[in-house]
Amino acid sequence: MSIFCLGVNHKTAPVEVRERLAISEHSVPNHLGEICAIDGVEEAVVLSTCNRVEIYGGAADPVAALDRLIAYLESHFAVAPGEVEFYRHAGEAAAHHLFEVASGLDSMVLGETEIFGQVKKAYAIAQEQGRTARRMNKLFQQSFSVGKLVRSGTSIQQGSTSIGSAAVDLAEKIFGKLNDCRVMIIGAGEMSRTTAQSLLSRGARSIIVSNRSYDKAVELAAELKGEAVRFDDWETKLDHVDIIVSSTAAPHAVVHASAIRRVMERRRGHSLFLIDIAVPRDIEEEVNEIDNVYLYNIDQLQQIANEGKSRRERQIAVCRDLIAAFLREKGIEALAGVPEGRGGPEPGGKFGDTSARPLPQP
Amino acid sequence: MDDLYLILATLAFLGGFILAAVSWRRDEDRPHGLNIPIAITGLVFQCLFLQVRGEMHGRCPITNGAEVLVFVSWSIVIMYLALGRAFRLSLLGVFSMPIIFLFQLFAILYLAINDPGPRPPAQLDPWLELHAAMSLLAYGAFGLAGIAGVMYLVQDRQLKSHQPGRLFYSLPPIRYLSVALVRLLAIGTLLLSVGIIAAFFMEDKPTPLHLLVSGAVWLAYALLLAVHAWRRLPPKRLSLSSIGAFAFALATLSAL
Repeated sequence: MSIFCLGVNHKTAPVEVRERLAISEHSVPNHLGEICAIDGVEEAVVLSTCNRVEIYGGAADPVAALDRLIAYLESHFAVAPGEVEFYRHAGEAAAHHLFEVASGLDSMVLGETEIFGQVKKAYAIAQEQGRTARRMNKLFQQSFSVGKLVRSGTSIQQGSTSIGSAAVDLAEKIFGKLNDCRVMIIGAGEMSRTTAQSLLSRGARSIIVSNRSYDKAVELAAELKGEAVRFDDWETKLDHVDIIVSSTAAPHAVVHASAIRRVMERRRGHSLFLIDIAVPRDIEEEVNEIDNVYLYNIDQLQQIANEGKSRRERQIAVCRDLIAAFLREKGIEALAGVPEGRGGPEPGGKFGDTSARPLPQP
Repeated sequence: MDDLYLILATLAFLGGFILAAVSWRRDEDRPHGLNIPIAITGLVFQCLFLQVRGEMHGRCPITNGAEVLVFVSWSIVIMYLALGRAFRLSLLGVFSMPIIFLFQLFAILYLAINDPGPRPPAQLDPWLELHAAMSLLAYGAFGLAGIAGVMYLVQDRQLKSHQPGRLFYSLPPIRYLSVALVRLLAIGTLLLSVGIIAAFFMEDKPTPLHLLVSGAVWLAYALLLAVHAWRRLPPKRLSLSSIGAFAFALATLSAL
């Protein structure tokens, strides 16, 4: 019996196709039942996220099973034959693919960690439904080991990949944990909101919102569970904030170096991080020359994000080497011929089957 | 035999230094797993060296420059192993390795050029032992504070320049560095205070020069902490001061 993988992802199918094939969490058990009822398919796990729909399974003849599986998907999701190009892998190639997925190497944001939890959940559902046996159990448990190995043994998660994450990463390099940090937003635009949400999601303690239109400040403050401050009063709050995000539409500087100098004299050595995402810029450049004050504008954040992406891309080869070494060590061929139906994997054992032959792509 | 232990300890720290450089070149985001075992190996050889020298002199082995340098390096390693993780500064060991290696190397050269040999045996004085041990441990804490200061300046420079380099992701947040710096200064000053108080109870009273130098070092650090507590020195100035103060403390060692 061979393991196989069939699917589409953000690289092979546009969102219009992925949304048609998406399998919601509550309908996964039904689909698992129907997939396992397909002639030749003996085990199955369905992984459906916003970036991919993949079915992993075990079959004595994966080529025939995959053809039948594609026919099932096309009929169930009302897709014309040949309209969707599914990728298909068998044996070691299928294992390698799952390992890359679990490690975040196949994700839209390289190295992201959410996919690891999604793979775990997909496996847990299939296991609860009794749709996994020896090979799927072993394959998925090995994928969790590989995912952890790749994340701990490489820098694939290191470096920001977006302006928001660059801002948050910088804040953490200044303050450590953000639990004690108070954030002020000057200008209630979309970019401010997104950056503030990123900071809040990492634990920032509170948010103060100030905007020329006070109503908009109140609205955003309510959304972020923060406090709204009139635009004329924001300077009075500076003593008590650690991070300032500014994105007003003002044609001139709003935050002046002289004001920050005065504030820093009262802050008793506490750092201040300013993020200027406005164009034209809101914060005078001289602010960065003040001791213990760190100012980043949108271009500088974008540059860090670009470097973060390149940094992660440079790690892909290292991650693939780790996965290849893991496969060499654990050896997918070793389980060929092992009796079926003994349940879960043996610790330190090898998972099974089969030929690493490439499957004919449709 | 003591020479061999000293060389082995130095080689261990050289290994740690090389490992740190290789990890940095490879863009690794965290200290190599062998960093702590290497520090412990070096520490064991340092202990053996100091034991042999102690037995040779029949007293605490701080009778010449080489022994003092080894003792100070030993204190830095002890402080790093004891406090590095507690202060979330695992990279402190990586930054410590070069300075420890240099101290050890100077000690080897010192003994190779002029080993004064055993001192006449002296009666064991627990106050003297306490004075020596506390003072040298204080130097270890001051050394680590200086290294934390260097780390702060490096991270501050990277943040200010907007171009995070390789070390940016490995170094801890600057807030942790400044907090650890103040704690290390406080621990060192406390230990040195105990060491100086113990000196007044020694059977052989310390020379006026010895007291003057120890007092000057203590005063420098106490003043630094007092000014920081009173005016809350900016972390950058505190880092520069801690590096300067350690350089001063090292310079005074020859007078001790």
